Amino acid sequence: MSVGPEMSELVEEAIAPAGQTPRGIEGRSPWQLAWERLRHDKVAIASAVTIVLIVLMAICAPLVAKIVGHGPNTQYSFGTSDSGLPVGPSSKFLFGADELGRDVFVRVFYGARISLLAGVVASLLAVAAGVIIGLLAGYLGRIVDTVLSRFMDVVLSMPYLIFAIALVSVVGPSLSVSIAVIAFFSFAAVGRVVRGQVLSLSQREFVEAARSLGAGPIRIMFVDILPNVLAQVIVYATLLVPAAIVFEATLSFFGLGVTPPTATWGGMIAEAQNYYQVAWWMLVMPSVFLLLLTLAFNLLGDSVRDAFDPRYTRTTAK
Amino acid sequence: MSARGTTPQTPPVPVETDVLVHLEDVVKHFPVRSSSLLRRNVGYVHAVDGVTLDVYRGETLGLVGESGCGKSTLARCITRLHDVTSGRIELNGTDVTNLSRRQLQPFRREMQMIFQDPFGSLNPRRRVGSIIGDPFAIHGIVSGAERKKAVQDLMSQVGLNPEHYNRFPADFSGGQRQRIGVARALALKPKLIVCDEPVSALDVSIQAQVINLLLELQREYSLTYVFIAHDLGLVQRISTRVAVMYLGQVIEVAAGEDLGSHPRHPYSAALLSASPIADPDAAAKRERLVLRGDVPSPISPPPACRFHPRCPKAEAICREQAPPLVSLPGDDEAHLVACHFPLADGERLAYRDAEPEQATA
Repeated sequence: MSVGPEMSELVEEAIAPAGQTPRGIEGRSPWQLAWERLRHDKVAIASAVTIVLIVLMAICAPLVAKIVGHGPNTQYSFGTSDSGLPVGPSSKFLFGADELGRDVFVRVFYGARISLLAGVVASLLAVAAGVIIGLLAGYLGRIVDTVLSRFMDVVLSMPYLIFAIALVSVVGPSLSVSIAVIAFFSFAAVGRVVRGQVLSLSQREFVEAARSLGAGPIRIMFVDILPNVLAQVIVYATLLVPAAIVFEATLSFFGLGVTPPTATWGGMIAEAQNYYQVAWWMLVMPSVFLLLLTLAFNLLGDSVRDAFDPRYTRTTAK
Repeated sequence: MSARGTTPQTPPVPVETDVLVHLEDVVKHFPVRSSSLLRRNVGYVHAVDGVTLDVYRGETLGLVGESGCGKSTLARCITRLHDVTSGRIELNGTDVTNLSRRQLQPFRREMQMIFQDPFGSLNPRRRVGSIIGDPFAIHGIVSGAERKKAVQDLMSQVGLNPEHYNRFPADFSGGQRQRIGVARALALKPKLIVCDEPVSALDVSIQAQVINLLLELQREYSLTYVFIAHDLGLVQRISTRVAVMYLGQVIEVAAGEDLGSHPRHPYSAALLSASPIADPDAAAKRERLVLRGDVPSPISPPPACRFHPRCPKAEAICREQAPPLVSLPGDDEAHLVACHFPLADGERLAYRDAEPEQATA
């Protein structure tokens, strides 16, 4: 069975630089298949569009402030009525003003920055830590597993708000502290999921095959096992983002997050507590955006999970 | 390859035989842990219990036995996927028993494994090209376009279309997947390939194709196979020698046809009488010996001869003294058996209290 002339031609073609379309049927990776399914999922598209719009809001916040002519933390005397109550939505204040006479519209835009930053960065940190710890615990086993698993159990059983209050009272509130707290309390859940997957995957024969070829533990963990848990990790990560956003809003709500003059959705909702009966816009505006963002991420997460599920085929149905 | 100063003690090897793998009293016990929090050891599974065996260069050594007799564990001990509990494994005259993963790296290139499950043994998330290219990547040899060429050569060698380089294992059938496994095992040009039931998960028609491929490759690259199967007929046909295992021990070793015509161990005879024959007349004439009882638990195997609780010929000595694996006077020198009361040629094996069937003259 030698390589004939036409065969070697094909081989050369396959070796030729990318960009040329190879002859024959190209095997599609599970990623490509998932992406195909995702592209045909209307809910996923709508969610993605919502997320992109909110990301644009965050990016364009200074531009919007310039156009409207209101700074996010500037207090305007015409923002409050003669009796000292905030004025409602009007041409001056599209979303109304708050009790200090600041423009809610501009503040919602600025708040998106904090929410997205905290949500995405904290989720990424949590996922990275969870994946590494889960891989180590699941693959190395024995004492490593015992130590890491008990550590994750401890983290999961800790009351995070009390911990956050204690930490903030020591180091002072800031965005980076919030992100660290969120990541710390989120990684353990990811770590557990990954560990469980790794435990069952490391019993598979392809791991044994890699070992018999002489692959080391690092290579086996990251080249052989990781691609098999990545789908679950991505699903988990998309669902972790909204949780982290809500977590950040909660911290801000309790005054444990970003320090006050900076606009955050959680902080705005907290400020609205005393005024929502006379100034509904103070509560509704940030809440609606918080709801939209978390809902979009959650629905996207569901769609991503469906897309990675090989038994689930709605590509043809819709 | 450097001899690591281990040769002097081993008994002199017969001149005409060239030993590639030498196993000496290999023992593999798996701890059985209690399910309580402390996970104390409550016993051991005696998966492999004192196997001494030589694999000669260029031969196919068949390894048969029923499920759970330790044949796969032995295979994984040879390829050092399991650390042995005690004993010695020599590859090409070098003791590899206790080498660390790094020290073992050069020896990995000499021995490879083909796995039973064509679905489980290939990573579903990786392309076939990178699966077959793995040996090159791990050993840091042949890279870039050269590696791609090498992989595609391997693919055409095992009868796969090299164009399918970019496909995933899911795009292939069971037989094709097993060919991928063969290509991967072949990549480093090993001397020894341990085949752990390579065809038992395949359709019969596909089995023959894969077996023929393995035989073809053996001829081409003068490979040595350790071939594990529970299909005695298949093993007899393709093996130079066959080793029969029972409860973690090798009880008989013989050339394929020799074992078929002159089984010496009662267990081998029972195993042979249970293997199907294609000729219905011959099958009807044959007397089947159905063994009584179940295989004892490998956690507490019977003392002395492991087979004595089920053996029709067992006597007091079988319960007290383990029979050595030796060649019987009058038999071929390569025919080894571990039995106090080996069967004579044509001896009828039956339980003493069994109703005498019509005695065949």
